[in-house]
Amino acid sequence: MDKKTIHLTLNGEAREWRVYPNELLLNTLREQEFLTGTKYGCGIGECGACTVHVNGAPRLACLTLALACEGADILTIEGLARDGKLDAVQEAFLGQSAFQCGFCTSDMIMMTRALLNENPQPTETQVRDYLRGNLCRCTGYASIVRAALDAAEMERQETA
Amino acid sequence: MSYQILGNDYFRKDGIGKVTGREVYASDVTLPRMWHARVLRSPHAHARIKSIDARAAQELGAVVLTYADVPHLKYNERIVSIPPHLYRDRTVLADKARHVGEAVAAVAAPTEQLAEKALRALQVEWEILPHYTDPLAAQRADAEPIHDSYILNGQEIPVENNVAVTRVVQVGDIEEGFAQADHIFEREFVTSRIYHAQMETKSCVCDPAPDGSITVYPTTQSIHNVRQLLGEIFSIPLHKVNVKRVAIGGTFGSSIQMNSIIPICVALALKAKRPVKLVSTREEDMYDHVRYQTKLKLKIGVTREGKITAGHMQALADIGGHNIQAYALLSVLAGWTASLYNYPNLKFEGKAVYTNKTPSCALQGFGNPQATFAAESLMDEIATELDWDPIEFKLKNYVGLGGTFWGQGPSVQSIVRSDGVPQLLHDGAQKIGWRARPKPGTQTGRYRHGIGMARGFHTSGAGAPKPGEVIDYSGAFIKINEDGSVDIVHAMMDHGGGTLEAIAKIVAEELGVPIERVGISPADTLTTVYDVVTHATRGVYAGGGAAHKAAVKVKQQIFDYASRILGLQADSLMIEPDYELMQGVIYCPNFPERRITLGALAKQLQVNSWGTLAAVESLRQVNCPPAYVTYFIDLTVDTETGQVTTNRAAIGSDCGTVVNPAMAIGQLEGGLSKGMGYALVEDNQWDAQTGQLTSKGFWIDGKTPAISEAPFVENIITHFANTYEPSGPFGAKGIGEAATNPCAAAYANALYNALDIRFTELPITAEKILSALAAQDERASRASDYLENKVVAVMQAAE
Amino acid sequence: MLPTNTHILYPEFDYHAPTTLYEVTELLAQYGDSARVMAGGTDLLVQMKMERRQPSQVISLMHVNALQGISQNGSLDIGATTSIQEIHRRLPQLYALAEACNGFSSIQIMYMATLGGNLCNASPASDSAPPLLTYDARVTLKSKTAERVLPLERFFLGPGKTAMQPDELLAQISIPAPLPHSGSAFIKISRVVADISQVCAAARLTREGNTIRDARIALGSVAPTPVRAAGAERDLIGETFSPALAEKIGKQAAQEISPISDVRATREYRQQVAAVIVRDALLRAWERAQ
Repeated sequence: MDKKTIHLTLNGEAREWRVYPNELLLNTLREQEFLTGTKYGCGIGECGACTVHVNGAPRLACLTLALACEGADILTIEGLARDGKLDAVQEAFLGQSAFQCGFCTSDMIMMTRALLNENPQPTETQVRDYLRGNLCRCTGYASIVRAALDAAEMERQETA
Repeated sequence: MSYQILGNDYFRKDGIGKVTGREVYASDVTLPRMWHARVLRSPHAHARIKSIDARAAQELGAVVLTYADVPHLKYNERIVSIPPHLYRDRTVLADKARHVGEAVAAVAAPTEQLAEKALRALQVEWEILPHYTDPLAAQRADAEPIHDSYILNGQEIPVENNVAVTRVVQVGDIEEGFAQADHIFEREFVTSRIYHAQMETKSCVCDPAPDGSITVYPTTQSIHNVRQLLGEIFSIPLHKVNVKRVAIGGTFGSSIQMNSIIPICVALALKAKRPVKLVSTREEDMYDHVRYQTKLKLKIGVTREGKITAGHMQALADIGGHNIQAYALLSVLAGWTASLYNYPNLKFEGKAVYTNKTPSCALQGFGNPQATFAAESLMDEIATELDWDPIEFKLKNYVGLGGTFWGQGPSVQSIVRSDGVPQLLHDGAQKIGWRARPKPGTQTGRYRHGIGMARGFHTSGAGAPKPGEVIDYSGAFIKINEDGSVDIVHAMMDHGGGTLEAIAKIVAEELGVPIERVGISPADTLTTVYDVVTHATRGVYAGGGAAHKAAVKVKQQIFDYASRILGLQADSLMIEPDYELMQGVIYCPNFPERRITLGALAKQLQVNSWGTLAAVESLRQVNCPPAYVTYFIDLTVDTETGQVTTNRAAIGSDCGTVVNPAMAIGQLEGGLSKGMGYALVEDNQWDAQTGQLTSKGFWIDGKTPAISEAPFVENIITHFANTYEPSGPFGAKGIGEAATNPCAAAYANALYNALDIRFTELPITAEKILSALAAQDERASRASDYLENKVVAVMQAAE
Repeated sequence: MLPTNTHILYPEFDYHAPTTLYEVTELLAQYGDSARVMAGGTDLLVQMKMERRQPSQVISLMHVNALQGISQNGSLDIGATTSIQEIHRRLPQLYALAEACNGFSSIQIMYMATLGGNLCNASPASDSAPPLLTYDARVTLKSKTAERVLPLERFFLGPGKTAMQPDELLAQISIPAPLPHSGSAFIKISRVVADISQVCAAARLTREGNTIRDARIALGSVAPTPVRAAGAERDLIGETFSPALAEKIGKQAAQEISPISDVRATREYRQQVAAVIVRDALLRAWERAQ
């Protein structure tokens, strides 16, 4: 088993990675890039803690081979704020105190961002449907729903 | 009362870190030269280790630890109880596995991949012993001892029949009490062994230095207790043990004790002479900690007038392979029971039994969800049977204002000085539509609707006038910086509920400084004074109380120095925030022109070389006021699938002054989610044959409710009592654990309301509901057959 | 406990990322049993983490364009690596299939997982299989030298076992053009919403006025493979639809299966609830068969 070289874009920057075939995107992000905002929760795709965007779609980094990211455009929570300005979703989570321990906050924010990219004005039902696979043991989810709806409203007002 | 800062919402101080992914948890810590560790865990439920061959692992370049390599000191990992009540039954690595998943060896290597390879190269020779997943089987006379003995107060105490500890508590005479009763009710309740399911698995990084000191970054609820335990186990003086506060990815009680991986990580780092990181896998974590599983037999006597005369609780706790805090558990089971309702005569008989399962520990409520499930289910039944509105019946009998409250056990007694229960019950009933609830047994058809209510509390801390059996005090160090900003140096851990945020607000309020100019310092054990642990819903009340005490002292210094500069009596001065200057401003109302900002004052002190405005204080609260909570649940049952939908919930909290409104609401919403899981979904089943979890520790089958199970946002109604706790900082008391305690009982009572069936075993799964409905149908058809036969017989007789 | 480590992917393997179908079949011919193809990875990598499969060669299909997409050629042809999310978005008129796709436990998995992967995993609890069985779907299997088409029913042999040979690849899933006046539905029962099913059922009905012209019923999590309830189907065809008939057929379908008890549900619960969801799926399918 030998390392291979791949090229990709990570949070807007070009990257070259040397990775083993059995290396997971999650661990490459955390241990090679020191981007520890993406979390290990269960390792088998049941909790959503490792959610990142790959080519614009939400993916589980714990079930993605790093090698499979050749040429991909990857966005992690650390790349969401641009030029020192928080994303509307991050603002909304702050405003609603939509987190407690914060361990699921990265994945909740990345999922909400993906939802709003697909559907800028979701209903509560659509928010619930989209976040169904992301576990939070602290908040009971209500503040997260409020934050997602707030973020949509903030972006609607910005574009209006 | 109105406050400048308390009761307002601000962006949380840890918010930017958390929403940008930059907050650092133990599992995120990386140090130069760091190696990765893996733990060898027993595949057997009960087995002695005859030998471990580590040669192949060492040849791979790994550092290996076995029982032979670690200190053999027996310790108890939860040093919250005072030394005479610490049941010491474990060592850093075990020489005998007492449950599947018990740590018996460990390795460290440059990469996790290599560590894993080395782990698999370890050859263990086991001697398999009989194992017990059932506490009754474990108590049989011929049962294999799980522990031969434990150490208590320096004495080696033999274990008999695998009973870890028993405790009896009596008030009055129950025989007399039951003799006075007109009605006696009795039921047995069984609660489940749920997993904390905190998002972050237990993690630790240890950095040893050449001078023999260590720096540790662990998942913990108490940095000081971890420090003291590590110092004791590894014989390192405490000034050379520094435990750092890192954010916790949820714990819910599972890190009150020092987690088992922490000393393993330290031992590996000491042996490898380099930093070592140990992150549990989810499957390891699921074999590491669970909530205490209990069987509770509760008997209550009441008079015709609806007054309780006696109560008798018999509790059996299945604690698993180690005794983390079973003695304290039995104490609080007695305490929760005694403090929910006024029993003139009460007897509590508790027994905690070892089994070969995952060791149990506190999980949000520490015995309270269990005791409250039993009490609130039975009280609902008694009220219904006696034709009382459960609300009225409970109001007549609960422990409220002026009552003696000893939730945290017989040694932790205090008088109730604030009580929002009547208001909460009244408001909750109105919000949920209590009076319009269905009458049990009147509904037919597939979907049936029910409303249920339960109430409860948690204590705010474990303080009391007497020293008691558990340690409870906090410390805080506050200093004013030279620009008028404030540093709070406090060892308290924040589970995420906003404890540190509340502490900052309390300090800001007292000092009259804008919250934006109050900082919470990074904390470690070298620079903070002792705080026992963030548990027992004590964060705001006890931790905030200590900070308040220090702030009062600093404020006096501020006025003393300001009086010199302003030429006014210190006692005439006031301080309040000025948001344009972003400073506290010290002034005298009579001489408004004589004013100085806190920054100018502090700077002047420095220029004059007068010193720093600072104080360090410890505080033992001498009360543990009840944080009351009420639950109303509105649900629908699909009687064909057994599935339950939560339509609405009204959750009321009496936390005294609400310090962090949004976060207090968040506590209640989170309490509902976890309570719903306990009531309806979560379970951890052990395979009796293998002693393994039936889920194998994978989250595919360790399900908790998620967003889809939560009611819609507008249907989660939270409300608060207008109370002021005289002993709390600015009238505040706790909220955290209270937020979930009565939830399961409210579900059970709502299911009774919908189906006319009492459920006494958790979780009340769809399957259990369907089989209870089938049994109900069968009873009904038997009854109608009986009636029919009787009619026929009567008619035949008439002929 | 099992000696697993879900924190990393411990098994070592060689990784191949071919771009053509031919290359894939060549690799399969070369490596046979020691290779596994991987599409979204949501099943294979989990199984490798749980150490249920340990291929020494992993062949990614995600760069093979020929395996992706949906086309209409008389039948509806779905490339094996078309994502569950795309199927859900593009085929809403196939109610049962769309409902099953939305039954996947998370949006992330819907984006990652593929229809072919879900079928090749051959889980008795597969959500996508029961709807496809009711549509009489066929699968195209390709090897380096041959190609064959199988009815989906004959594809599943047991948990994790399919009729595929080691050198074969599932290339395409074909659904015959639906008969007019057909409707379908899928219902899943699970402990929580984001979960594997305790029992699931799909139904398709084709109506002629009030008469049932054609009927299919399939269930998941009740047998070693997803299964059809053939007897119940037969008893529907030619009958006049009524709620009472749906009730009766639901019970009959439940009698045709013999589920087991496991960590997710007991045999009794599965059987009892199967009757309910088959009935409800029939009612819904009938309503949609306008």
